[in-house]
Amino acid sequence: MTAPEKRLPGSVAELPNSAPRYVGRPIDRVEDPALLTGRTQFIDDVVLPRMLHCAILRSPHAHARIASIDTREAEKLPGVVAVVTGEDAKRWSNPVMTVPPGWGTHCLATEKARFVGEPVAAVAAASRYVAEDALELIAVEYEPLPAVADARKALELGSPLVFEENGDNVMLRKLFTWGDIDGAFAGAVHVVQREFRWNRLGANPLETFGVVSQWDELAGTLTCRGSFQAQHHFAMARAMVFNLPLNRVRFISHPHGGSFGGKGGARGTDITALLSRKAGGRPVKWIEDRMEYLAGGASQAWDRHYDAALALDAGGKVLGFRVRLLDDLGATAEGWGAVSAAKPLTSFTGCYAIAAAQYDLTIVATNKLPGSPYRGMGPPPHNWVLEQLMDLAARELALDPAEIRRRNFIAPDAFPYTIASGNEYDSGDYAAALDAALAMGDYPALRAEQARLRAEGRYLGIGLVNTIEPGVFDWNAYAIVGQPGTGVPEGATVGIDLFGKLTIKVGFALEGQGQYTVAAQVLADWFTVDIADVRVIALDTLSAPPHFGPGGSRLGVALTGAVLGAAQRLTEKLVAVAAGLFRTPPEHVELRDGRIGVKGRPEASMPFQEVAQTMLARSDLLPPGVDPNPEATYVWTAPGRTPADDQGRAKSYLTAANACHLVLVEIDVETAQVHIKKYWIADDCGTRLNPANVEGQTQGGVAQGVGAALLEEAVYDEDGQLRTSTFMDYLLPTIYEVPMTEKRALCTPSPFTPLGAKGCGEGAMHTTPGAILCAINDALVPLGLELREVPASPQRLWTLLRQAKR
Amino acid sequence: MTKEPNDVTITRRISMTVNGERHEADVEPRTTLVDFLRGTLGLTGTHVGCEHGVCGACTVLWNGKAVRSCIMLAVQADGAELKTVEGLADGATLHPIQQAFLEKHGLQCGFCTPGFMLSIYELLGRTSAPTEEEILDTLGGHLCRCTGYQSIVEAAHLAVEKMRTR
Repeated sequence: MTAPEKRLPGSVAELPNSAPRYVGRPIDRVEDPALLTGRTQFIDDVVLPRMLHCAILRSPHAHARIASIDTREAEKLPGVVAVVTGEDAKRWSNPVMTVPPGWGTHCLATEKARFVGEPVAAVAAASRYVAEDALELIAVEYEPLPAVADARKALELGSPLVFEENGDNVMLRKLFTWGDIDGAFAGAVHVVQREFRWNRLGANPLETFGVVSQWDELAGTLTCRGSFQAQHHFAMARAMVFNLPLNRVRFISHPHGGSFGGKGGARGTDITALLSRKAGGRPVKWIEDRMEYLAGGASQAWDRHYDAALALDAGGKVLGFRVRLLDDLGATAEGWGAVSAAKPLTSFTGCYAIAAAQYDLTIVATNKLPGSPYRGMGPPPHNWVLEQLMDLAARELALDPAEIRRRNFIAPDAFPYTIASGNEYDSGDYAAALDAALAMGDYPALRAEQARLRAEGRYLGIGLVNTIEPGVFDWNAYAIVGQPGTGVPEGATVGIDLFGKLTIKVGFALEGQGQYTVAAQVLADWFTVDIADVRVIALDTLSAPPHFGPGGSRLGVALTGAVLGAAQRLTEKLVAVAAGLFRTPPEHVELRDGRIGVKGRPEASMPFQEVAQTMLARSDLLPPGVDPNPEATYVWTAPGRTPADDQGRAKSYLTAANACHLVLVEIDVETAQVHIKKYWIADDCGTRLNPANVEGQTQGGVAQGVGAALLEEAVYDEDGQLRTSTFMDYLLPTIYEVPMTEKRALCTPSPFTPLGAKGCGEGAMHTTPGAILCAINDALVPLGLELREVPASPQRLWTLLRQAKR
Repeated sequence: MTKEPNDVTITRRISMTVNGERHEADVEPRTTLVDFLRGTLGLTGTHVGCEHGVCGACTVLWNGKAVRSCIMLAVQADGAELKTVEGLADGATLHPIQQAFLEKHGLQCGFCTPGFMLSIYELLGRTSAPTEEEILDTLGGHLCRCTGYQSIVEAAHLAVEKMRTR
C-alpha cells in the first residue's frame, strides 16, 4: 500500500519557498514573444506533404429533401482528388452523439438538410481555390420542405418536424423543483413576473476552426491536427463516429486564436477524415471561413424565451424563484446540446439565499443552426433574468437596488453554502463586493447626477448587478440531461533534465488565457527557479496524461493542482535520493528554496538540480531501490464531488467566484442609442495566480457582455434563412463600444482549491449583460417603458420609444 | 479544359519586396495578397479572420500604408514594398510596439495582434505624438475578441512612449 497523498498547498505561504517571485504577480506571459513575432503555429500555418484542401458545399435551404447529388463534373476538374456526400458518411461513419440522445445526424446531410449551411458535399483538391471551383460543379436537386424557425411554432401541432422519427420537436422537457415553491408563491406579499427574450449570438473567436486530418487505412488510424479546444473529448467523439479504438485516434491540438466554447469543428473534422480516407490517406486540410462559421459553425448559442417570477415577503426577502425556459437549440443537439440549459443548476439562485426554486425547462428543435457552447455556457442569460427581476422587485417595494440585494445575500459566515438547486458554494463575501463597487462609483453621487439630468430631459440609467461565476466545471451537473460522469481529470507531467531545467507537459494547446504562464509561475515558485528555466509543452491525446483542457472556468485551478501535485511527487523522489546521499531518513529531508537538504541543517543541502543529475547520470551514487526518473505525473480532479439526485442536485462546480458590476448608461432618445458612460467592477475570484491574466479575462468578458447586450444577434427570417452571414451584419463590439473599466480585486480564498484560486475564465460574461439591461431599464423608468430583450439595438429601442410617443 | 484569355487561373509574374527581401513568383490573378504572403512566401504571421475586410487581422503595410491583405489581390502588390509582422522585430530584439504589447498584456490568443501592431506602426510612422482620437481611430478598425481592448489601448500608449524615447 502506498502512503496517502500529501495535501496540496492551499495557499502561496505553503509553497517550499521563503520568497515566491511569481505566483500572485502580473508576470509577463511566456507565450507572448512567439505570438508577437508571428511564429506561433496556428492550424492554418501547417503544411504537410501531399496535403489536399477541402471546401464544403452547404444547403441553401432551411429544410429540404435531397433528391439527388451529381458529383461527376466536379470529380473531372483537374486538381480534384476526392468528393464525398452523405452516402460516404453513411457508409463510413455514425451520426454524432448528442445530449439528449437521438437528435444528431451524420457530418454530411443524408436524406434531408435541416438548416441553412448544413454540409451536403465536400471536395478535396490541390488548392482551396480549385476545391471551391469544384463546388460549383456539384449539382444538388433539393425538394424544399416547410421550415420552422420559431421555437413557439415548433411546439404547435402540425409544425414541420426536424426529425420526423421523433414524433415532435421537443428535445427535452424537465421540471426541476427545489423546496416548497408553491408555498413560497402562495405566501408571498409581492410577486414580480416578466417575459424575457434573449436572441441568438455566439463566440466568434477571431480565428475560425481548422483541421488537417489523415486517415491511414493500413494502420487503422486517424490523426487530426487542429484548433481543438478539448482535444481528448474530440478524439473520444471521433472514435465513436468512426468505430475506432480510442488508441487508434490521435489528436494534436495547435495553439488557437480564441475559442470561448464556440470553436466547434466536429463536422469539419469528420468530413476531412472521410475525404482523406477516400483520397488514399493523403492529409486533408479544412479552414472554416467566416461565413461558414456564422452560418454553419459553432457561432450561435442561447436562443431563449423566458417567463420568470420572484416571490417576496413584505420586507423584500425573496421566498421563491420560478423560471420557465423555452430553449431553441436549432436543428440538432450536437454542440453539447442540453448541457447549456442545465448549467444554471450550478448557481440557480445567484448570490442570494432563496429557499425554493423551480426550473421548467423545454428544449426544442427548429430549422436553424445547432446551438453551441459560449463563454459561461448557460448562466449568462439566466443571471440576466434574475438580476432584472431583482430590480423589478426593488421598484415594487420602493427599495434601492443595492438594498434589496443586500437583504438577500448569502451571509459571509454561511459558507460552505448549499443552494436550493444543490450545488455548494465554497466561500464569498457578496456585501463586500457590493460595497466596493458602490464606493468606486460613488453611488449616491451617481443617483444625484441621474436625477439632475432627468430634469433636463436626459435619460441616464444605473445598473447594479451581482453574480456568481461557477468555476471548475464537472460532468455531474449534467447527468440529469444525459451526460454521464463525475469529475474531470487534468494531468501534468513535470520533469527535470540533465542540465537542471524544468519541463511541464500538458494535454492542451494555447488558447489565450495565459495558462502556460500560470503553470510556469507555479512550478518556478515551487522549485525557486527563474521562470525562464521552465518550459511548457503541449502533448497530443495519446502522449499526454489524462486531460480535458480549457472549459467551464476550470483550467487555472485544475492546472495548478496538476502542476503542484506533480511537483510534490517529483520532490518526494528527489528527497528519497537525497536522503540516501546524506545517509538520513527521508522524513528528515526537505525541499526548501530550491535546495534539498536535511531539515534544520542548511550546510547539509544541495541544489535540487544536482539530485536530478545524480538520478540521470550517476547510478554509481544512487541509493538502492530509488526511482531514477526525475519526472512525475499527477492528475488533478476536484475533490468531494457527488452524483446528482433526481432533481439534479449535486456538489458540482467546485468554486463560486463573485462579482459586482456598476454601470452608468445614457439613452439618446433621438437616435435610440445606448452609451456606456462609466463602468466599475469589484471582483472576487479568490487567490489571483496572475492578476494581469485575471483582469484580461474580466475585461474580455465585459466586451462580450456589451456585444450581447447591445449588438450581437444571429437573425433568421421566418423561412429559416440567415440574415447575418458576415461581420457587416453580425456586429462584434469594437473599441468604440467597449468601456474602459475601473476594477477592484477582492479576495476570499477558496478553502477547497490549490493555492485558494477560483475559476475566473468566464469573466464578466455572467454579469455584464444583466448590468447593462438593468441600467437601460432604469433609464426608461420615467418614460414608463421596459425593454426585456437583447440585443438592445437602436432599432429595438427606437421602436419602443416610438410606441410610447403614440 | 482550354483557358480563356481572361481565365483567372492563367498565371502572371509579379515581384515585390517584403520585409526588405525581394520576391518573384507566378501567381493566378485571383490569388489574394494574404494567401500569397502565407501560402507562397510562407509568411504565416499574417492571419485571416474574416476574409471580407472587417476584422483587420490580416493588416499589412503596402508602400507604408496599412491595408487589408484579404481583400487585395497579390497582383495589386506587384512592385510594392510590404511589411508584415515578421519584419517588426530586429533579430531577437522585439520592436517597441511588440514590447509594449508584451508588457501591458495587450494580447491573449494573439491572433488579431499582428494587425493591430501594423496599424500602430503606420500611425507612429506618421506622427510621434498621436492624439487620443488618432489612437482610437487606429485601433477602431480592428476587432479583438479576447482582451476587451483596454490593455491594447494601454499598449498603444506605451508604444508611443517607447518610440519617443528610443
